[in-house]
Amino acid sequence: MNLRILFLLLIVLSPLAFADSYLINNGRIVTMGAMGTIENGDVRIADGRVVAVAQNIEAEASDKIIEAEGAFVTPGLFDSGTQLGLAEVANFVKSTDNRVEGQQLGAGFLLALALNRYSSLIPMVREGGITRAMVIPVTGTEILAGMSAIIQLGDSAHFTTNDGNAVHLYLREVDKELAGGSRASALIQAINSLREAERYTRNVRAYENGKTREFRQSEADLKALQKVLNRKIALVVHVDRAADIETVIAEFAAFNIRIVIAGGREAWKVKQLLADQDIPVLVNVMDNLPSRFDRLGARLDNAAILVEAGVTIALMTQNLFTNTQSLTQGAGVAVAYGLPWQEAMRAITVNPGVIWEVENYGTLEAGAIADVVIWDGDPLEVMSAPTKLMIDGKWINLTSRQDLLRDRYSDLGNQEVPFGYR
Amino acid sequence: MSGVKIGSMLLGLVTVMVQVLADEVAFPSTYHVRQSPDTLIHGATIITGEGNIIENGYIKISNGVIEALGHGMPVSVDILDTILDAHGKWVTPGIIDVHSHLGNYPSPGYSPHSDGNESTSPVTAEVWAEHSVWPQDPQFPLALAGGVTTLQVLPGSANLFGGRSVVLKNVSSRTVQGMKFPGAPYGLKMACGENPKRVYGKKGGPRTRMGNFARYREAWISAREYQRKWRDYHEDLVSYQSPMPDANADSEKDQNRDGKEKKRPTPPKRDLKMETLVGVLEGKILVHNHCYRGDEMAQMIDLSKEFGYQITAFHHAVEAYKVADLLAANNICAAMWADWGRFKLESFDVIKENVSLVDKAGACAIVHSDSAMGIQRLNQEAAKSLAAARRMGLEISEAEAFAWITFNPAKALGIADKTGSLAIGKMADVVVWNGNPFSVYSRAEKVFIDGALVYDLEKDLKPVTDFELGQRVREI
Repeated sequence: MNLRILFLLLIVLSPLAFADSYLINNGRIVTMGAMGTIENGDVRIADGRVVAVAQNIEAEASDKIIEAEGAFVTPGLFDSGTQLGLAEVANFVKSTDNRVEGQQLGAGFLLALALNRYSSLIPMVREGGITRAMVIPVTGTEILAGMSAIIQLGDSAHFTTNDGNAVHLYLREVDKELAGGSRASALIQAINSLREAERYTRNVRAYENGKTREFRQSEADLKALQKVLNRKIALVVHVDRAADIETVIAEFAAFNIRIVIAGGREAWKVKQLLADQDIPVLVNVMDNLPSRFDRLGARLDNAAILVEAGVTIALMTQNLFTNTQSLTQGAGVAVAYGLPWQEAMRAITVNPGVIWEVENYGTLEAGAIADVVIWDGDPLEVMSAPTKLMIDGKWINLTSRQDLLRDRYSDLGNQEVPFGYR
Repeated sequence: MSGVKIGSMLLGLVTVMVQVLADEVAFPSTYHVRQSPDTLIHGATIITGEGNIIENGYIKISNGVIEALGHGMPVSVDILDTILDAHGKWVTPGIIDVHSHLGNYPSPGYSPHSDGNESTSPVTAEVWAEHSVWPQDPQFPLALAGGVTTLQVLPGSANLFGGRSVVLKNVSSRTVQGMKFPGAPYGLKMACGENPKRVYGKKGGPRTRMGNFARYREAWISAREYQRKWRDYHEDLVSYQSPMPDANADSEKDQNRDGKEKKRPTPPKRDLKMETLVGVLEGKILVHNHCYRGDEMAQMIDLSKEFGYQITAFHHAVEAYKVADLLAANNICAAMWADWGRFKLESFDVIKENVSLVDKAGACAIVHSDSAMGIQRLNQEAAKSLAAARRMGLEISEAEAFAWITFNPAKALGIADKTGSLAIGKMADVVVWNGNPFSVYSRAEKVFIDGALVYDLEKDLKPVTDFELGQRVREI
């Protein structure tokens, strides 16, 4: 059988998989697009896409109608830095796949190959209204830690691709020990790695014929960095100190690559540079501790200061845990510290779509991917939660393992039935 | 047993108490209440911390204590220095974190600053957390901005018996003694489960949970023995000091009945480790027991019964919901996170309804942080737990939920008669919030400790630690 024909056939037939259509009636529609927020508005969804958003939409015969009763309706949220799918228990090394130790593998570490789309953590994370995320590698023995992967938390068949969506470089104070013990040696090593990849890119055939001198990095690493050099994917630089951010930007300028700053606890000090160079920053809002000398300037209004200066930000939680509300809580805390509400929402919807080049994600506008959440309150409030959640046009069951445990132990007074049978 | 014997044992108990009190004067608190203007806050929504809410309420602070509170305005608003119109604002007791490592795991978090775990032996009941606390930890002011006025700093959980905790007022001070909460009892940190066996599994043990238990029991047996030695000593001392009815007429010499010379008894050698454990057995030191799993809590309860001591609180009690009835029946608090789990195997069964299920079972429920970040937002963590409770249909009010971070931790620290709620005569540890503290958008606007204004968002009044001075630039 010709696989290619089968594949094409699947593509042609795939809209049938999304045959359902829905009309969400009377919601507070946070479109995140040109229409702003529509009070008592409607959203029509068909074939996995938002097809119409307006004050009033006539239902079509096939539509299933969902009454939102004035509730917030938002795009599904995006966590720009998580470890979801890489660990069942975070501190339990045998269950984690987020780093490489002692192998000849750096930028080319494709963690997508380790992701567990069936993890029981995924339904818990969805309870935070999150429909997509960037799963990022952490450092093992290389400062170039590998390639992150965008995941879709709904239909496991579309969980991720094995492309590698960004290369992650760690240049924080804690990382320099991996590359000679100085920030300078770490940066020089990173630059040398990129130069090597440039040589490789200029003459791939010579490399494959064994006619180049030996490279420090493996072929997988070189190919990953080749994508960075071709601007196909971004280089995410994890760095906090203001001086280090300046140095990184200056030293990488010659490569003409797309840089994203992650962490950036002192980014607010160099806001103008970041704005001028159009370099986005991934912010972990609540991590405001001066826990190292490169984080002395950490502060809760980092996000607000950056956005006011014109820097594009996206939020990340960086966690592998069950406190899945920390994305919206972080956004809410940023608002409490001066970030406009709309900008906080952008940092977990539209902006990640732009930074990670996920087409048609992040808004509720005609043509957008139908990641939709209906909330029981303001999505950034700690007391709010989704009541319904849709990913790629499909409603997702919001029951998690936690709910089953709760139900099992919610009545301790009844000792007749052993807990294992409940 | 004869009446005389019982009498002398009672005397012995009294004198053992004296002996334990002796180390309470070691490293005494030098905290003092700052002079502050009398203050009236009115028009606010007041959460008392003990389950009540007063709309359009007032609170009057005088000489560091709460002098009056109620609805509307006090009858007489005489010569008050400060009157705050707090319409639209919320007033609560200062937040109390029952589980913190501020100061003993300070920022910056380098190894010279790592002073939380004396992980050299599984039983280190002899160490005192206060000797590790760095009062210049910049995390203290961050917690203050989150409305935290009192916190318990504990040793870490590497050891079965980690050492003594210390209760601190969250005030700027050169010394730890200047932060020590006057009159707060000491706590003893104990730890169940994974941590001790992980740390000592390859260092002579314990290597298993059963190993953990064997060593708890050995330690308590030693403590009972130590307690008996001191009791015997004090009994001997009493009989040595008491006049001998048979011999008093004949001789000035101290003689026993059989004519031998009476010898003054020698006191046993002091043992810091045992002093702390005996303090627990005598109910003067409160047990704060790191314990995640419900089945292990049940085992620890039986351990406490075997040796006759009370567990005050299980901390990190991720599975408290599974044994909430046992906790209620045994008068044990559970200190919990709102939703944090899966970071270790024994936290695998975390649920969001944990706090509220414990509360509903009639046990004392506490939301704690164990985190320099979490401590800044305990009100939001309580809000998460409240929201989860309501979603499963439990009826809990905001006023009741606020007890999880005020009155209940105060109870667990043995200071509920002094702070933890807004009541007449109590310490004026008070937070004025610029909105409902269950909202993520609200911030502590003013924080009072013993009536002194120590944080003011609008006036940018806050302590700056020596460490931050001149290098943690705040200006934009």
